[in-house]
Amino acid sequence: MKTILAVDDSGSLRQMLSFSLKAAGYGVIEAVDGQDGLNKAKQQQVDMVLTDQNMPGMDGLSLIKALRAMKNYQNVPILMLTTESGDDMKAMGRAAGANGWLVKPFDPARLTEVVKKLIG
Amino acid sequence: MIANDLSPSEHLRAQVMHLLSGVSEHGDQHLAEVERDLVQMDVLLDEAIKKLCASFIAIHRAVDLQQEALNGLLVDGMATPEYVARFEALRGEINQNVGAAVTGLQFQDMTSQLIGRMVQHLAGLRDVFGALDTNGTVLAESNNEALLAMLSLISDRVGVCCTEGGGGVRSTVNQRHMDSGDIELF
Repeated sequence: MKTILAVDDSGSLRQMLSFSLKAAGYGVIEAVDGQDGLNKAKQQQVDMVLTDQNMPGMDGLSLIKALRAMKNYQNVPILMLTTESGDDMKAMGRAAGANGWLVKPFDPARLTEVVKKLIG
Repeated sequence: MIANDLSPSEHLRAQVMHLLSGVSEHGDQHLAEVERDLVQMDVLLDEAIKKLCASFIAIHRAVDLQQEALNGLLVDGMATPEYVARFEALRGEINQNVGAAVTGLQFQDMTSQLIGRMVQHLAGLRDVFGALDTNGTVLAESNNEALLAMLSLISDRVGVCCTEGGGGVRSTVNQRHMDSGDIELF
């Protein structure tokens, strides 16, 4: 079973992500902020990372950069899931190493379609 | 209350000081109330979303189990083709509404961010009102130069507050509707 790391400081958002992805047959590991996400990514290799941008402490862009600096996460798909939709932020995400940008709120069917496209 | 034996310029100075202190004090009081209400709103929204999510997941689980039982009946051939078609249509409808509910239940994430931003702005505004406070300063009675100097100082303090407060609170939520957002793969 493929496993996805879902990083967001909003408990309800993590719950909906987890519900949607598990219903589609994926395993989900939740993290409450960037640092927690990084720690969990180091503890267990995941197949994909979905991260929010605006979080206390380590934000999403910083998490992406930290993950891309790890050899075992250089090719793992990382998607940003955030309220932000500005082109400048997307450019920063892309430069940091994100593979895609999803604007909240997400539709579960569309989300799982994208995830399936990236990791099967 | 201003004494009748004050000169016009002394009257002016006293009124200005009184006005600034009043605006500072009352303005701060009102903003403190607004901040308190916003924080309470955030707490209530947080509690509501937890209950909504828990209920939604429980209902979904129950519907899933019901669907499993129905599937058993369908497999045993206990339903007519008409009922099979109806069950399938209902399953599709349920899945569609579950998806819509998942999208809708993400509202609290955005409202919480907006409230957080409002609280930051309020803190900035309270700093501005604080800067207006004359702190009980007693001005020299001889001329208006002391008053002008004090007003200039207050103006500078307000300017510093605006500069410090305005730069840090960026707008991160621009959604106007709870419709699912764009997806872009790089």
